[in-house]
Amino acid sequence: MLGRLDDVVERSLRGPSLEEEAFNRLVVQGIRRVVREYEIRPEKGVLVSHEEALIDRVWQAGLDFLAGCGVYCQSTGRVIRFGREEIEARLHEAPAEIWMGEGSDARLERCRSVEDPRPPLNMGSSIGSPVSEELFVPVMVSYAQEPLVDVTCGPSLMTVGGREIRSGSPLEIQAAWREVEGMRQALARAGRPGMAWTGMMLSMTQAGQLSAAGPLGLRASDLHTFGVISELKTNFDILNKLTHTLHIGGIVDPYANPIYGGLAGGAEGMAVMITAAMLALSVIFMATCVGSSPTHPFHFNDTGPELLMASSLAFQALARHTHLMTNLTVTPVGGPGTETLLYECIAFTVLSTVSGASRILGPRSATGSIPNHFSGLEARFNGEVMRAASRLRRNEAEEIVRRALTKYETDLDRKPYGKPFPEVYDVETAQPRPEWLRIVDAVREEAVGWGLGLDGVGTE
Amino acid sequence: MSEAFEALERAIRGGDVAAGAAEAARMVQAGRSPKEIFRDCIEPTLADIGDRFSRLELFLPEMMEAADVVKAVQEALRPHLAADPSLRTSKGKIVICTVSGDLHDIGKNIVRAMLEVNGFEVRDLGVDVSPAAAVDAARETGADILALSALMLPSLPYMRDAIDMVRQNETLRLRLKVLVGGGPVSRDWARAAGADGYGDDAIEAVREARALMGTAE
Repeated sequence: MLGRLDDVVERSLRGPSLEEEAFNRLVVQGIRRVVREYEIRPEKGVLVSHEEALIDRVWQAGLDFLAGCGVYCQSTGRVIRFGREEIEARLHEAPAEIWMGEGSDARLERCRSVEDPRPPLNMGSSIGSPVSEELFVPVMVSYAQEPLVDVTCGPSLMTVGGREIRSGSPLEIQAAWREVEGMRQALARAGRPGMAWTGMMLSMTQAGQLSAAGPLGLRASDLHTFGVISELKTNFDILNKLTHTLHIGGIVDPYANPIYGGLAGGAEGMAVMITAAMLALSVIFMATCVGSSPTHPFHFNDTGPELLMASSLAFQALARHTHLMTNLTVTPVGGPGTETLLYECIAFTVLSTVSGASRILGPRSATGSIPNHFSGLEARFNGEVMRAASRLRRNEAEEIVRRALTKYETDLDRKPYGKPFPEVYDVETAQPRPEWLRIVDAVREEAVGWGLGLDGVGTE
Repeated sequence: MSEAFEALERAIRGGDVAAGAAEAARMVQAGRSPKEIFRDCIEPTLADIGDRFSRLELFLPEMMEAADVVKAVQEALRPHLAADPSLRTSKGKIVICTVSGDLHDIGKNIVRAMLEVNGFEVRDLGVDVSPAAAVDAARETGADILALSALMLPSLPYMRDAIDMVRQNETLRLRLKVLVGGGPVSRDWARAAGADGYGDDAIEAVREARALMGTAE
């Protein structure tokens, strides 16, 4: 891997020189070209595509686009580009499975196929959402104690020792270590000290993550996450995080979150962009697992119909043509205490499961931006949905996704962020309050009526 | 819209820079006033493009290209526009950037394109811009508005630094408004930090910029 890293670094130093604005235009032109040439025209209204010829063209378009465009390194103003054959050769080298965590808490992630009967791993967490210092441990206990949660991820501390965290400052490093301490405490309290986790989402510079990644912090058996900048951009901070992770033998778990309506345009372009971005994560960033949470520009979620359609096309394309371990994050607008959140989880998670995602993250409730608006119960529910959805065919999934979407689509503008953690959980016991449980039970029962086999899941 | 403007409107919507500049120059040569061209064609076309983006009927690339055409038209008509101050086409001058510690630029780019198609003159400083550099650029360009974006929580202190720099400057605080937005920014945070305006998304940012310029519709 270190040899491949040298190659990437070399290309970041010697690749074609380009102004960033010119690279943006290259992305726009490239996406338009492949959408036209490969006739990426999804059938209107179909959310879980089963048109395999179209899915295969999305794959070809993504590959063609990435080979022509590459990834832009902001630190050098150069493009890291791999030809089509190089991309294909490196994809063959990617791992198809990986153990995460330690001891009896370790879990095996494996690549999945379309309609794979094995459920994806459940990374139950609020992923980088802002959290108050005093709630970090109880919130994390609420996730880690759930039997259906396999691995987890920390929220982002809003302060450290009462002080605002400032990017690139010593406070960023302090916050990263506070997160490690809080996570260790929470996992121990939940009785799952070996559970794999990731975090340090607020460590935008390399300082926090590099300091806290090692035997005493984020272990090699944990997931080491960094985000590629939309669209298809990197810099030395990101490459430094990658370099450190490779040296400590950590699990490289990066993500790319393309923006709907941005440089890739609409759903057709987004399907290609998501595919290409996942390939870039594997080829250029040597990812063990690749992930995405494509984002709506006004709702900041990924549960709207256009993104559902694009995600399904892209992840089916990846599942049919690679053995990559792929993950998607459910980012609903709904928050704890709302039915909206649960309907969004059903739509997104059913679709992701049948489309071949090997791990599903979240829910990043209330768009992941409202402080303390998340709880472990929605991760329990999402884990149940994953298991039930792994028994579905795509046509059955389509029907359920459509019914769920009907229940929340008109809520997306309204953004029902719900209630903060202390209002839906008893903070002392880290147990959900009866009202939140009742709402979940009612939606579960409704979804069973739609044909989603949630009855009995979790007691198997 | 009058048939006389069809070719220019088509060029703007199609992102055809050469055709747009040529058509605007041809119309002026034929006796059409630049004021008419902007008032009766460019402004309503751009407003429609902005509206259509807000409904996601078209996307960022189309907005970027429309803005490119209008810049080319402005360039082609520069001698006429410079000669008559009443032909000032800008709704206001804005310096925009993503603040220190934050490298995300798509959200900022969407806001920039929306501001441009809505008639603002925008200077984009890019990402990871220090508070001092942002305020200096606003001062040097004589900006009316400094628009600051952040996607990450640990960038907010830098945003507040920029606001403080403007507030503490006797001259700047009288003429420069600060508009803020991005994932971790809320209306309450903006108010507490002393910002003049807050946009939850690109649509609201345009509305807020208009309000700050006293041109709200």
